Amino acid sequence: MGTLHSFIARYPIWAIAILVLIVALAWLIVAPWPPGLEEAMGRKRVFLNAILSGITLGALYFLVASGFTLVFGLMRNVNLAHGSLYLLGGYIGYGVADVTGYWLLAFPVVFILVGALGLLLQHQVFRRMEGEELRQTMVTIGISIVLADLMLWFWGGQSYQLLSPDWLSGPTTLPLVSSIRPNGEAVYLSYPLVRIAILIAAIVIGLAMWFVLNRSRLGMLIRAGVDDRDILAASGVRIQYVFLAVFAFGAGMAGMAGIVGGTFQSLSPGEDTRFLLASLVVVIVGGMGSIPGAALGAVIIGLAEQVGLVYAPTYSVVFTFLIMATVLAFRPQGLLGAKH
Amino acid sequence: MMPSVAERLNAAGSANALELRGVTRLFGALAALTDVTLNVRPGERRAVLGSNGAGKTTLFNCVTGDFPPSSGTIRFFGEDVTNFPPHERIRRGLRRTYQISALFTGLSVLDNVYLACRGVSRGRFSLIRPRAGDTLLQSAEGLIEAVHLQDVRDRLVGELSHGQQRQLEIALALAGAPRFILFDEPAAGLSPKERAELIEILTSMPAHIGFIIIEHDMDVALRVVESVTMLHNGRIFKEGRPEEIESDGEVQELYLGGGHG
Amino acid sequence: MAQVLPVTAPARLMVLEGIPAPVWVIGLLLLLMPALASNFVLFQIFGWSFILGMIALSLMVLAGYGGMVSLIQMTVGALAGYVVAILGTSGVPQISLGWPWWLHIPLAILVATLFGTLVGALAVRTEGIYTIMITLAIAAAFFYFTRQNYGIFNGYTGFNNVVPPALFGVDWRQPVPFYYLTLGCATLSYLAVVWMARTPFGLALQGVRDNPRRMSALGFSVTAHRILAYSFASVIAAVGGILLVWQNAQVVPGTAGIPQVIDILVIAVVGGLKRPIGPFIGALIYALLSVFSSDILLAFGMSGERFKLVVGLGFLAVVFFSPDGVLGLWERWRARPQGSGRDLRPANREARP
Repeated sequence: MGTLHSFIARYPIWAIAILVLIVALAWLIVAPWPPGLEEAMGRKRVFLNAILSGITLGALYFLVASGFTLVFGLMRNVNLAHGSLYLLGGYIGYGVADVTGYWLLAFPVVFILVGALGLLLQHQVFRRMEGEELRQTMVTIGISIVLADLMLWFWGGQSYQLLSPDWLSGPTTLPLVSSIRPNGEAVYLSYPLVRIAILIAAIVIGLAMWFVLNRSRLGMLIRAGVDDRDILAASGVRIQYVFLAVFAFGAGMAGMAGIVGGTFQSLSPGEDTRFLLASLVVVIVGGMGSIPGAALGAVIIGLAEQVGLVYAPTYSVVFTFLIMATVLAFRPQGLLGAKH
Repeated sequence: MMPSVAERLNAAGSANALELRGVTRLFGALAALTDVTLNVRPGERRAVLGSNGAGKTTLFNCVTGDFPPSSGTIRFFGEDVTNFPPHERIRRGLRRTYQISALFTGLSVLDNVYLACRGVSRGRFSLIRPRAGDTLLQSAEGLIEAVHLQDVRDRLVGELSHGQQRQLEIALALAGAPRFILFDEPAAGLSPKERAELIEILTSMPAHIGFIIIEHDMDVALRVVESVTMLHNGRIFKEGRPEEIESDGEVQELYLGGGHG
Repeated sequence: MAQVLPVTAPARLMVLEGIPAPVWVIGLLLLLMPALASNFVLFQIFGWSFILGMIALSLMVLAGYGGMVSLIQMTVGALAGYVVAILGTSGVPQISLGWPWWLHIPLAILVATLFGTLVGALAVRTEGIYTIMITLAIAAAFFYFTRQNYGIFNGYTGFNNVVPPALFGVDWRQPVPFYYLTLGCATLSYLAVVWMARTPFGLALQGVRDNPRRMSALGFSVTAHRILAYSFASVIAAVGGILLVWQNAQVVPGTAGIPQVIDILVIAVVGGLKRPIGPFIGALIYALLSVFSSDILLAFGMSGERFKLVVGLGFLAVVFFSPDGVLGLWERWRARPQGSGRDLRPANREARP
């Protein structure tokens, strides 16, 4: 909270502007819209759908990007195979759900398998290239090329869609008013349950990560290492174990995110690139090595994409790019990134 | 617009070369410098002494512009440079040497000095290769002679001895038209003969060039300066002439008595 | 090693000194190649190698001399190709303006260079490791945008029928003329880079790579130097991009798709980032693999489609065993203990021509 106070103290105008924006957004979401507003902006239901889609997409992006940002922040390793791990996890998850019929079972299986792959990579490959950042990145590129082709070979070029389990299927009703019937009765928004479930899960996972990072010894080591590698090395702790844990965790998270993405959307060759890029943009915007940054960046990018898609389809890509370029121009270390 | 040499000499006559006012530098909770105020006149030769961790190198880094002070101002020949990036300060006549030689080990001695000359002149982005009679090249050659390195002019810096590298550091600081130089432990690791050469170079510098020298070797430091500032825990502890400082009881106890590094 | 100048040599020869002897031999061979090779080899293998080599050279300038690994070069090239298609003639007359070649070609290079410079301005103010990420993200944005935008870039379809102008009555897209055209451009780019490396600008750029803090303390603006390096590199990439589009006779979003963008990095690394000839070596290997890999794979009893797998594994092998690429292997082979007391310079990792 200290950073929040110092932010408000140093940039009072920005703080006010952001507050106004948040209040306006809250009103738009919660309050019933007067007819004039509906004429100007279209149906409130469309708007609410866009906002919720953006936030839930942001949840997915957060799940993918959090592992990426930790690995980069701590180990200075730009893992360009991160997207491949995402897709691999998705494919494996599809297989598990298909064979066993249990969607939920896919998660632990994928976390373990893809996490193990991450463990292997960190232990056998990256550990030997300690400090050679560019070389590590090159290796991740090579791995991504190899994995992509292997996955293409094994699973082919078609799209796979994971079906959400029955108990998560279908819509749920949210306590948000989308419109008022002529008789004065409020119509509440209905929204796919599985997306809400994922959003809640992402929040829980995010909080758990924050908790581990800020309250546990492992978390303290990770944060110290993100801030200053040399301090960590000098502390005598076996940093290699920390690296292994972080990389495996990041890989496992990416894999699980693949299951989510396969449920929300679909899995096919090219999705690995797409989610790698999403991770890059989220982390550039949010800041390296920062979990809150990844959350913030993910929500911003998710919203930009979905809202843009609904209201200005040809240019949604441009929005994302403009956000990224603006952050780079004015705050190169990312919104919540530390200045080095 | 850069003032002309005449204007600068004029200004040099009226303003302090270097003026720090209330400079404080915090690193998180650690205060490396607290409320440092000092004035150095043009052409003055001063030593900044203090034990390890007293804040000497942080002081230099602030003056060079590696990072801005957390509070306070820095004026260079009357101009407020507190928020200027390093290269702007260098172009106004400030120079610096480093405690650990910061040279381009893969380039030759001539290339290193040539780069230093280029950095403070025009044509930094020139895509034209210098011809034989190029003035900058000649300046570079002259500088190399001034620090007695003409024999190794074409050797890679990585092949030079430690002492030669330290001499090259000084040559880089003399490039262009320096008005004020910061010497960061120039005597570190030098043999007695090299130390004598260093003293000769420092004392025979043109009178209009002032400098501040950080040194652990009190012999070298006190021999080449006319005033001394002592730092302790980031604050100015004492100022005075070399003989005063040398014979001061408090200084002896705090700095010399405990055995300096 | 980057000597500022050998004092007595006249200006013209100064370009040529420092080009190793093997390169001269290769150069001569290349001049005579049309007498030896088939049209297919001239156009598809050599032509393509020169083009990819140029774009990879652009990356090498930034990475080898500037210490910045940028993935924007292919995008810069594609943009130049797009501008040529949009301002010149193509199979999409509703967008193409039909301007003459002496207008649309220089403009294409200018626009692409401006774009590259802008990307540089965004990318250079962060730590080196961010550069890959930022440039990759921007390249991706460009890809997605060109794919979705129909007003200017004609979306998914792109522009077809983009061919070189028939200057001097020559159809420059015929194998032999195209071969010489690309050879000429590649040679000029190579010489330009060799020249640049020893100018004050090039020298300072290498200084910025090795010790930016020191360069700043010598009066150089590190940021300005890096951005201008992007400009210089972008010119080369732009020319390469235009040639690429002419070779394919089309420009589509996939011209600068992510796989293509990464392939340029692969080419530059495999060839070697330390000398300007490296990218061309890497490009030749890549072109040969692309054309013949399916045959090789079939010979091993594998499906001819697994080209990417071969590339990926080969790339991994290079990065593991010889991070300096093929050139690195060559250097190490040359520097192996001879027993004849040859004077071996201390191993230094500076890039040199």
